[in-house]
Amino acid sequence: MAFTNSSVPFFRHDRPAEVIADGKRLDGRDNEEFRTLFLNCGTISQASGSSYVELGSTKVMVGVYGPRQSDRWMKYSEQGSLDCDVRLATFATRQRGRPIQTQLEKELSAQLETALSASVLLHTFPKAVLDVQCLVLEAGGSVLAAVIAAATLALADASIELRDLVSAASVSRVQGIQLLDPTAEEEYREEAGLVLSFMPCLNQITSLTSHGVWSKDELRDAVELAMGACEEIDAALRDQLVQNASQRRDPPVLDEDDNENA
Amino acid sequence: MTETCTPGQRLGLVTEFEPGAGTYVAGSFVCASLVGIQRTVPVEETADKRLPRLEVSRSTRPDPVPSPGDVVTARITRLTPRLALADILCVGEHPCAQRYSGVVRIQDVRATEIDSVRLPAAFRPGDLIRAEVLSLGDARSYFLTTAKNELGVVYAKSIAAGVPMVPLSWQEMQCPTTQSVESRKVARV
Repeated sequence: MAFTNSSVPFFRHDRPAEVIADGKRLDGRDNEEFRTLFLNCGTISQASGSSYVELGSTKVMVGVYGPRQSDRWMKYSEQGSLDCDVRLATFATRQRGRPIQTQLEKELSAQLETALSASVLLHTFPKAVLDVQCLVLEAGGSVLAAVIAAATLALADASIELRDLVSAASVSRVQGIQLLDPTAEEEYREEAGLVLSFMPCLNQITSLTSHGVWSKDELRDAVELAMGACEEIDAALRDQLVQNASQRRDPPVLDEDDNENA
Repeated sequence: MTETCTPGQRLGLVTEFEPGAGTYVAGSFVCASLVGIQRTVPVEETADKRLPRLEVSRSTRPDPVPSPGDVVTARITRLTPRLALADILCVGEHPCAQRYSGVVRIQDVRATEIDSVRLPAAFRPGDLIRAEVLSLGDARSYFLTTAKNELGVVYAKSIAAGVPMVPLSWQEMQCPTTQSVESRKVARV
């Protein structure tokens, strides 16, 4: 059997022409509803902390390694540093990706670092580097939001001191309607989009990335929509961490300067 | 209290509690910075006895990072005219997940007669030493000191027979097989 030598990519399904039909989304969700969230901690046993997050069809795995001694060429610093690395698996996207790090991955890595650096207490590990390695197994829309949530979960799992958990949400505007947690098809058809990462306990936004044209009112509405979603995701993250901590059943370890007769 | 708290959770007012390990201060609140069990240390047990202290204990122990004042176990890797380079293996009783570099400078080997110290008479590559972290040092290594009685070489193999040596005094160790004596800065265990 001979395969035709074609340079046009062959897809099993074409992209849907309309993502909003009769005012409803393709998967039947409300405009302000996000997809099913699955969270898991401690996925990678060799890592200091790790997590696996599924947001609908988007699947992300994060491993946190360290704090480890930084390379000799790095300057002396009283604060630690965060080294974020996001990779998309070659099978993650609709068209097969490249094994080397692309522009998109570099951008996601920089955006992840911006989102997390406001929360990590860097002075607790001076001169050391914390590696946050993220692997996106399937990019089904809202990838950055899923990556940020997974990275926060992994950092908390690694017992890195944080000011607050960082949760993130993505909003796309399609045909004038604002959709929370867009799928890959919805993101493809969007006119404008934004990703907000937020610390709910401190009520502080750590990063806001937007693209496209937004009017002032539209932007305010989208940011409020995203902040509401972040609060819900935050509750889910905390539930998972508490559940994981009680399942571990490690005896509480206090610092050396405390003498306790058990 | 045995409830698990999560980072960012408000634990108490900064006027009523002192922030301890695993917490930080945000505005007028003491907040948790770790996932763990919250604990209140009563006033009588705190150092300055002013306010009770709030602590969050970690549910898993993270990899230790050397900090000033810690007693560490290190292995000497190289000697230069002014320094002894070492790999820090353990902080206190907890092994480090990866090797941190430390140096013992010639003036930090012992407390007395620091001008007349000869490094090969104090350490040899391969020795295990107990040292205290002086400071974070420079970009490449932590600064260590062995200038106390209980710090110094705890384990060394003899050049003659390659067997662990027995300490004779604070500056000599003897090989049990060949009876040869080698000089080291020995720790008083």
